Amino acid sequence: MRSSFSTESVTSDSRTPLQPPAATTAPGAPAFSADTAGLPSARSGSSRRSGLADRTLDPRTKLFLLLTANLMLFFHVTLTTQIIMVVLFLVPLTAAGRWRLTANFAVLYAVLTALGLLDPEALGLPWLHVVSALAVGATMMLPCFMTGAYAFTTTSASAFICAMRRMRVPETVVIPCVVVIRFFPTIAEDYRQIRNAMALRGIASGGWGLVRHPAQSLEYILIPLLMNATTVAQDLSVAALTKGLGREGEHTSRTLIRLRAMDWLAMVAVVIPLILDIAGVIR
Amino acid sequence: MTSPNASITPDHSASTNATAPDRPRKLEVADLITIGVFAALYFVMVCVATLVSTLFTGGFGSIFLPAIAALISGCVYMLLAARLGKFGGITVMGVVIGLFLFVSGHFVLSFIASIVFPVAADLIARAGKYKSKALLLVSYVVFSYGLTGPILPLWFMKDAYVASLQARGKDAAYIDGVFANINTGTFFVSMAAILVCALIGGWFGQKMLRKHFIKAGIA
Repeated sequence: MRSSFSTESVTSDSRTPLQPPAATTAPGAPAFSADTAGLPSARSGSSRRSGLADRTLDPRTKLFLLLTANLMLFFHVTLTTQIIMVVLFLVPLTAAGRWRLTANFAVLYAVLTALGLLDPEALGLPWLHVVSALAVGATMMLPCFMTGAYAFTTTSASAFICAMRRMRVPETVVIPCVVVIRFFPTIAEDYRQIRNAMALRGIASGGWGLVRHPAQSLEYILIPLLMNATTVAQDLSVAALTKGLGREGEHTSRTLIRLRAMDWLAMVAVVIPLILDIAGVIR
Repeated sequence: MTSPNASITPDHSASTNATAPDRPRKLEVADLITIGVFAALYFVMVCVATLVSTLFTGGFGSIFLPAIAALISGCVYMLLAARLGKFGGITVMGVVIGLFLFVSGHFVLSFIASIVFPVAADLIARAGKYKSKALLLVSYVVFSYGLTGPILPLWFMKDAYVASLQARGKDAAYIDGVFANINTGTFFVSMAAILVCALIGGWFGQKMLRKHFIKAGIA
């Protein structure tokens, strides 16, 4: 388990004198150039997600969209505003190439809105109120989940960290966030290994095995995970401190984030319907 | 921050350093990484709880989410408290969890709840110097209420449905009738469930700590 935990990437966002260039960038690429879009060759070796980096918005804009979605919930916007906003939220998701996600959200929203508009009285089925109430609730939550899904699926860890540092989030919060993002794949890997080991000993091997003895399953899975977590925490500390995570002062970043015209446009576009709704122009 | 070697020594002898003369037990990078690792595990627990809660309660989704999360993540919390034993750790974990909940599309109020309750939990645990079993249990119960943020929209949603009924011309008495059994009852059931589940989960966590980690010298 521990061998799978390479010591390379906890500080891959923070470039220090000790750190070799990250593998995803071509050697010799000017790290402090102002614009990634002008450097197609520097991006050629990177994953599909960062290949699309120039088509997604800045992480700060994504957070702003999330906040707007939350404000919609808070101010109980009218249905017209809600539909306008949902369409606006789905545009960047499409632009990022997440077609299936966009389609799923659009269909779900349409179905839920239709359910919410049902009139149980007219149909003579009073119990439909439960369905209708749940649908109204879910439609209100849906914009939050849309923007959340957008933020989660299109932001790389280093862009997220870089944005947090730019927003002057204290290092006390930034470092645990890096570790959380870094640690998720390790948990998944450990879980698979633990389940294999359990199956080898004939413990909870079937599909319902885990459910039959919940307390025992919890113990058998969680304790090895925690045991491993303590050792991993030590390894990570050594690796991170070697790479200079504990240095005082400002950390520079390989990932460039910039608020472009597109970002400002997106922010203005989502704020206008909200303001019009609060002002009572849209009914 | 001191030199790297000093800050990873387990006995924190670096705390006498001139950088932190007034707050000897400050959080260092090694502690922050430990918090991050445990926060990741806790977040996974929350995800599992969301799944289970959605399976059990169907459409109402996450109404019992905090209770189920409290039931299963006692071990994580107790081990973190035992490993760290410093003020701030529980708070930072709560803030990080809140941040991730917000980014994954939960209500922004969940962020406020996940700052206020962990700070309170941290203060309670500090009163027992992170050793007292009873106080740690109480602090775990308080910490568990930090997850009520994600389910708060349920009560906002109620307002929305009432508004939509009113817009369609229903009278107030009728609306009250519709919500008679969803209103305060579920709220109190959910809150009481958190209390009971957090007590059981915390007790289970402390039992596991005694059984596995203290013997191994980890906690």
